Amino acid sequence: MDWWRRFRQSFLLYSFLRDSVAIACSLILIVLVLVSFLAPLIAPHNPYDSSSIDILNAEMPPMWMDGGSPEFILGTDSQGRDMLSTLLYGMRVSIIIGCLAVLMQAFIGVVIGLISGYLGGRIDSFLMRMADVQLSFSTMMVAIFLGAIFQEAFGVGLYEQFAVPMLVIIIGLAEWPQYARTVRASVLAEKKKEYVEAARVIGLRAQRIMGRHILPNTVSPVLVISTVQVANAIMSEAALSFLGLGMPVTRPSLGSLINSGFEYIFSGSWWITLFPGIFLVLLILVINLLGDWLRDVLNPKLYKG
Amino acid sequence: MFAFTVRRIIQGVFVMLVISFLCFTIQHQIGDPVRDIVGISVSADEREALRDKMGLNDPFFTQYVRFLGKAVQGDVGMSFFFKRPALQVILSKAPATLELVFVSSLIIIFLSVPLGIYCAINPRSILSRIIMGLSIVGVSIPVFLTAIMLIYIFSVELRWLPSFGRGQLVYIGGWGSGLLSLNGLKHLILPSIALSSIMLPLFIRLIRSQMMEVLETDYIKFAWAKGLHKKRIWYVHAFKNTLLPVITVGGVQIGTMIAFTILTETVFQWQGLGFLFIEAVERADTTLLVAYLMVVGIIFVVVNTIVDIIYGLVNPMVRIQGSQ
Amino acid sequence: MKKILWCFVGALIAISLVVVTQGSAQAQAASGKTLKLAMDADPVSLDPHVQLSGGMLQYSHMAFDPLVRWTKDMQFELRLATRWELIDANTMRFYLRKGVKFHSGNPFTAKDVKWTVERLKRSQDFKGLFEPFVGVNIVDDYTCDLVTKEPYSLVLSMATYIFPMDSVFYTGTDEAGRPKDAIDKTGPSFALNNESGTGKYRVTKREQGVETIFEKFKDYWDTNSPGNVDKIILTPIKNDATRVAALLSGDVDFIMPVPPQDYDRVANSKNSQLVTMSGSRIIILQLNQNRRPEFKDPRVRLAIDYAINNEGIVKTIMKGTATVAAQQAPEGFAGYNPNLKPRYDLDKAKALMKEAGYEKGFTCSMIAPNNRYVNDEKIAEAAAAMLARINIKVNLKTMPKAQYWDQFDAQVADIQLIGWHPDTEDSANYSEFLVMCPNKETGYGQYNSGNYCNSRVDQLVLASQTETDAAKRSVMLQEVEQILYDEAAYIPLHWQNLSWAGKKNVGIEAIVNVMNFPYFGDLVIH
Repeated sequence: MDWWRRFRQSFLLYSFLRDSVAIACSLILIVLVLVSFLAPLIAPHNPYDSSSIDILNAEMPPMWMDGGSPEFILGTDSQGRDMLSTLLYGMRVSIIIGCLAVLMQAFIGVVIGLISGYLGGRIDSFLMRMADVQLSFSTMMVAIFLGAIFQEAFGVGLYEQFAVPMLVIIIGLAEWPQYARTVRASVLAEKKKEYVEAARVIGLRAQRIMGRHILPNTVSPVLVISTVQVANAIMSEAALSFLGLGMPVTRPSLGSLINSGFEYIFSGSWWITLFPGIFLVLLILVINLLGDWLRDVLNPKLYKG
Repeated sequence: MFAFTVRRIIQGVFVMLVISFLCFTIQHQIGDPVRDIVGISVSADEREALRDKMGLNDPFFTQYVRFLGKAVQGDVGMSFFFKRPALQVILSKAPATLELVFVSSLIIIFLSVPLGIYCAINPRSILSRIIMGLSIVGVSIPVFLTAIMLIYIFSVELRWLPSFGRGQLVYIGGWGSGLLSLNGLKHLILPSIALSSIMLPLFIRLIRSQMMEVLETDYIKFAWAKGLHKKRIWYVHAFKNTLLPVITVGGVQIGTMIAFTILTETVFQWQGLGFLFIEAVERADTTLLVAYLMVVGIIFVVVNTIVDIIYGLVNPMVRIQGSQ
Repeated sequence: MKKILWCFVGALIAISLVVVTQGSAQAQAASGKTLKLAMDADPVSLDPHVQLSGGMLQYSHMAFDPLVRWTKDMQFELRLATRWELIDANTMRFYLRKGVKFHSGNPFTAKDVKWTVERLKRSQDFKGLFEPFVGVNIVDDYTCDLVTKEPYSLVLSMATYIFPMDSVFYTGTDEAGRPKDAIDKTGPSFALNNESGTGKYRVTKREQGVETIFEKFKDYWDTNSPGNVDKIILTPIKNDATRVAALLSGDVDFIMPVPPQDYDRVANSKNSQLVTMSGSRIIILQLNQNRRPEFKDPRVRLAIDYAINNEGIVKTIMKGTATVAAQQAPEGFAGYNPNLKPRYDLDKAKALMKEAGYEKGFTCSMIAPNNRYVNDEKIAEAAAAMLARINIKVNLKTMPKAQYWDQFDAQVADIQLIGWHPDTEDSANYSEFLVMCPNKETGYGQYNSGNYCNSRVDQLVLASQTETDAAKRSVMLQEVEQILYDEAAYIPLHWQNLSWAGKKNVGIEAIVNVMNFPYFGDLVIH
């Protein structure tokens, strides 16, 4: 178990154990991820089973308020679904979409950014103009386009099944330029530095220079963006539901729950917006804090000093 | 520099071509504009006749070539809904968005720079911990949640500030400005706070982290050793080098800013470009959409060009291609 | 350099001061009351014939006047006509009001009526409604005959759509060389930006999608109206929550419509009041018999009808702000059949499914719009959940209206949701569009995506068009409703309520009606 020993002696673990915020955040994150992925086992109801939903239970307040029922701890939404269960299931959807889509964005973006910045010239111009096209095209247009293709291929009836992978691809494709431009800028600054010149002089191949020498130096801005992008991806998904391109109404995500609760904000049914809102903010907050910590640790310039 | 500019102009044209082509391929998925133009009880034949008249039934290639032919002469078509040239509609809505973005940028710049520097210089002080804590919470709250909360607190409950629209405008030429009247300024407050709520924390954090990196570098240590005044080291030497990545990320974030104006403008019914875009999608006003996306594409090319130039100026190590 | 900058800033401040003071001076000049009105959309054009929609008719009632108009209790009230009489089976004579002026100053006469009806027959949106009419014969300046091709039961209802336009004003060509009477749906036209009607309000400023300002026409003929509003500032606010917030924060005086979830909040606020009324827009589900053989079996359709608790939907999602429906036409309409009661019985539904051999159920698809009707998406979702109880698994997809109607026409799903409000305010109109056998030639059954077809229904509806005896006609249309009910031709859900809200001092109650055309000319602000 060589990697295990290396991990135990690593600086990463060392600094992690010394940082109480990081520990607390990862605990919360683990709990959130666990409860959402174990939702089918621990949620009191199954919000995906429409035959168990009774419309007459709609908009019941949380159990500690007048009119609440112990059956629905956090109350019910406008369809009579148990808020707590819907929340857990919704969070699972949001985590999957948010993380996978951002991974996809980061992967495409980093690769294109590296190539563009390192090789320069015509390739650089071409890739960066493609990024401009992509940025101005906005998530919504990509969603309309891909949504139509998916519907053509699978029909309306299968929408529930292909919604999640479709959204990951849409959001993943739509926002890679954020990464590409950031990485490219860092590469431009790095590639003239002595250590890169040195690497080139000793005859290392371009891939190796890009991957092992330049890439680590671009980590800091990439992480700053990533944490925001996870939140963005989750919210983009919610915004798309407005176009009929997000999660289907029968499979709500955290974002679409907040969106639908919006209409109720003046009417007194605050729990429909507030609970998903709190969970979303909490989720993003811990991801952000962890990202922060990770960036400080990984940044070679900082810890050496 | 001349060659550089020419190259960028050609690239801009290329961007517009690609955007318009993509728009034309997907316009049928956006919806049928005729449906929005006629009442619901109008017969299918009448709708078909109207579609013929609008040229929507022509083959894709014919439509696109016709569009290009007119676009060369500066005519990108008539908005179905506004019944005016699409470019004219976009230009008339641009001031609203530009003013909103301008005020938000002012808020962001004037708050993020001092706060970011403070946090970098005094990383362990209580105040900078509070600032960093708040900023991380701020960055985690979605824009439209912020927006609706602001309306709820300041408009509905406290009744201090208006909840929607731009209020009284002062017209200077064709530019309807909300900056020049008290009423217009009041209307600007909530939307611009909402819009800056995500970027501000982001920039504070970015400036802090970059500045801290810079403070560790050898030349700053050298500057200390040379006995320079600390103010000079912080505000001149260190800050100048912090700016570089901030400018890049700033340029990139303009894209995000545009995405956020869509959300902010929708919640506040702010009659700007973002709102126009959403409405155009909803009405399947395809000519307006094509024009809008092309304009945004141009904005991106221009902004990125400017960022590249500034980048070259601030950091002599980066050479702009074609500038030698 | 600094000096120049300061001069510039000084100049800007000076300009803005001048403009601001001018603005406030103008505001003081208007003597009567001003109404700040927020609706979900603003008129798409100043040309009343460019689109047949609720919004355009609301505008028409502000800037124009019809020959007759509906009252709150569905009677006809005289406006530009002072009397009408039936000359023979095909001719209705209208005597016109004298001394009425258009906004341009031109006098109103019979030739304006003739001109307007001819223009209506040219309009893509209105020509269908005016198909039964031959045209207008002028008897003298203030008398004219409206002639139909054959006896027609709805002549007066159609007269509510005749808003005479200023024939002199709209004749000739504009500076771009276009004929002034052109009806152009997609491009600029004279009538798009200019109006001359006889209505109480002139449009003095219009920025589409942002603001329309109506000001009182000083020579308005109706001096008996109690209305005291001299200026209306119409702002479209599309977002429901923002529109309610605008009223609650006092930024506007009057909003329409009000989303059901905010009824309590608006009604209980000490500054605002709420007025609601049951409307005539029916929301239904159509079960496509061509796509699904199961839906050909009336027992399955009945089972679905029994399985859907439309009373529950009205109570929870609609917050009691809709009327549970069992037929197409609401009470007060000719075809309303009082014997038909809403059905909900889960056990019976299960029994029917078993009887039809579908005890195990089946899977089917459903589409619904998400921004067309009040809470449309939630209604569809609830209906889908209810069908799960009789083992019909529904895959639901919702989409915005821009995309919806194409999908609806293409019949991409097995169950499709649609709402219908009859332009004629008459029972037969529902059937003509929603349940008559789809026929491309005649255009009947245009929105019948269930493909339900029953020759008896077609026969009765067609006969009702020419039947001028109200009682006989009513019997025919009631039979239609009975057949549709017995066969569960479609699944009726509810009739949407109409809603308006305003500040306490605005006399909303008196000016609103079931057509949703608030008569702002008669509005009193205390």
